Amino acid sequence: MKKIVLSLMAVCSMGQVALAFCGFYVAKAGADLYNNKSEVILVRDGNKTTITMSNDFKGDVKDFAMVVPVPNVLAREDIRIADRSVFSMLDAYSAPRLVEYYDQNPCEPVYEVEEDMMLENIAVAESTMSRVLRDKVKYRVTIEAQYKVAEYDIVLLSAKKSGGLKQWLIDNGYSIPAKAEQVLEPYIKSGLKFFVVKVDLNKYNPTANGGFLRPLQITVKSDKFMLPIRLGMANSKGEQDMIVYAFSKTGRVECSNYRTVQMPTNKKVPTFVKPNFANFYTDVFRNQHSQQGRNAVFLEYAWNVTPTWSGVKCDPCVGNPPYAREFLMAGVPWANANGTTTYFTRMHVRYTLDKFPEDLFFIETPNKEHYQARYVITHPAYGDLSCAEGKRYVQRLKLRRQQELRSLATLSQWDTMEFYDYVANGTDKVRIEEESDQNELFVVGGGNGSEGGPPRALFFGFAGLLILYAARRVYSLADSFTFS
Amino acid sequence: MIQKVLSDMSNEARDPRYFQILFLGTFLLYGVSYLGWQNETSKYIALLASVVVTQLAFTHYTTRRYSSIKSALITGLGLCLLLRTGSIHTAILAAAIAISTKFLIKVKNKHIFNPANVGIIAAMLLTNDAWISPGQWGSSVLLWFFVGAAGLMMILKVGRLDTSFTFILTFGVLLFARQVLYLGWEPSVWLHQMSNGTLLLFTFFMITDPMTTPNHKYARVLWSLVLAVGLFVASNFFYMQTAAIWLLVIFSPFTPLFDKLFVARKFEWEGIPLERNDTVIIK
Repeated sequence: MKKIVLSLMAVCSMGQVALAFCGFYVAKAGADLYNNKSEVILVRDGNKTTITMSNDFKGDVKDFAMVVPVPNVLAREDIRIADRSVFSMLDAYSAPRLVEYYDQNPCEPVYEVEEDMMLENIAVAESTMSRVLRDKVKYRVTIEAQYKVAEYDIVLLSAKKSGGLKQWLIDNGYSIPAKAEQVLEPYIKSGLKFFVVKVDLNKYNPTANGGFLRPLQITVKSDKFMLPIRLGMANSKGEQDMIVYAFSKTGRVECSNYRTVQMPTNKKVPTFVKPNFANFYTDVFRNQHSQQGRNAVFLEYAWNVTPTWSGVKCDPCVGNPPYAREFLMAGVPWANANGTTTYFTRMHVRYTLDKFPEDLFFIETPNKEHYQARYVITHPAYGDLSCAEGKRYVQRLKLRRQQELRSLATLSQWDTMEFYDYVANGTDKVRIEEESDQNELFVVGGGNGSEGGPPRALFFGFAGLLILYAARRVYSLADSFTFS
Repeated sequence: MIQKVLSDMSNEARDPRYFQILFLGTFLLYGVSYLGWQNETSKYIALLASVVVTQLAFTHYTTRRYSSIKSALITGLGLCLLLRTGSIHTAILAAAIAISTKFLIKVKNKHIFNPANVGIIAAMLLTNDAWISPGQWGSSVLLWFFVGAAGLMMILKVGRLDTSFTFILTFGVLLFARQVLYLGWEPSVWLHQMSNGTLLLFTFFMITDPMTTPNHKYARVLWSLVLAVGLFVASNFFYMQTAAIWLLVIFSPFTPLFDKLFVARKFEWEGIPLERNDTVIIK
């Protein structure tokens, strides 16, 4: 029995050192941090959508199968095989990043900082005419087309009844999750076709591509700009992560039926986050996810990647921006033509059925504002700090470090009591001459309310006025009813 | 003397536009403090300032009835809540166009387009820098709108809410029939689609505008019925994600036709709460 894989899995990625005009990239939190996750490249051009699905299937390839609802019957040229490297490349380019700065010793003349950077590279068919007829009569399923594409056997089905489709899949050796049928029904009635994939064992070479199946890329034509996630939830328990790498000609892509929320960015965090950046970011994400009600899509990166555009493509770069070869592979051939703009958006969604009842729909916006999820550490100055300016610097440094701890607590919910000595002694290279003042080291975790203070106060003020006004109106209406 | 001032204030406070301003203002502040719209604050300020300035300028050379600032503020808040722009200039342009159309495009002394609606459309058509984010509300705002609708109902004494209810009920029933009864999705899918903030804002704060909807009650019901069917078809069969805003602007020029077919008195803001007839001021 083939096991239907309805959501696809992960890719590893390699980090690389890059130097930007401000700050050094030192660590990133790539897509491989999440267990139950898939990666998708989504390219929108007019009413054409190209979807590339990562394939991280581990296990016996003869058990691999995939069903994707598609709006129309795909022609052979609408189905391609992509290289796995395109995912790791896009992940490396757009992953949330940690950058580091160095304070200059105010007591010493300006000199070039020697960077000794510790790098944290964290991972990132063939049937006869009679069979066709039989299927049509028996299951009310029509085989609209079938193709052999590299190691894959692909069938495009249309169906009249979900029961028939389910039975066809079972009789043809696919195991279907119990809950799938109720999801298949609405797709069938919406006129969707089914893109059904299994591996052609004669063509499959287990030694090629690191033993992984290669990503499939399809192009569909439809006004619907969406990703069907409902089928993938039929056989999955618990949360799933999906990273969407979207390309458009206009600007940012955002989700149109769920909120698209930016991850907090440009936050200064303590230097000890550096070796733990991956843990830090997964905690920040978990925290944001729950704070936003578990039903938001998160923006992790948005940038103009037009090759002919001369501006910086990232600040700092975690990986190289996509270029000619990657654009071709990602299904963005127009990016290489002159005169077109190519805009890249990375979204991260963690979904469960109760919070995401509907498939993900997207919209292209003309929003060209650049964005990256970026966290900053600043190393203190070292050397003799006994001059007057040096003493003032140490005071400022203490305040800054308190703020860094507070920001760490708010972002990741880490218990900062553990790091109580960070403010005074956190750096052995700073000679702090003042007595260690324990009182100011008290930084307690939590502190969610510390952000957005004034608007919130104003909000409660307005809400109060609104209630008062409404109450006054009820009172006066009641009054007029009694006496008129 | 003091009694007169107090009585004037109390009459003034009956103007339902105060409630709308307070409600929309609260809603906007909720977005800024809880939905992460704080980066847009400068655009909100620019939008509100420009609607007020434009309205003042036009009023100064026309009616000189400065209480119309309230309407302008409602338009401005509507723009803040629905329109997204890349730059402040685009926001100012949208605000200026929104208010100008109120004074410039009129039939029988009644402006045709809903100002916020036309401001949004104009900004999207004229610049490549304006858009609508239908998902920016999430689906947790349903409760807000129940509160809003209840409040409006109270203040307008159901008056102009016939448009809202006809519209949302027709659309809701059609959507339920398609998504749940026909396609077989769970009711949660329907509920998720119905609790879209843009849809609800459109329903309770855009098509309730008495100045740009037909004067006659039956005409209004028919008008919102057609709009609801249009939205259902556009969103379910043509997958237009911002269909409501476009349909309203296409549909608005037909309002005078409805007024011709169903004759009724034109709406006046100052004449609304008629509990005490001696205080009604018209013009």
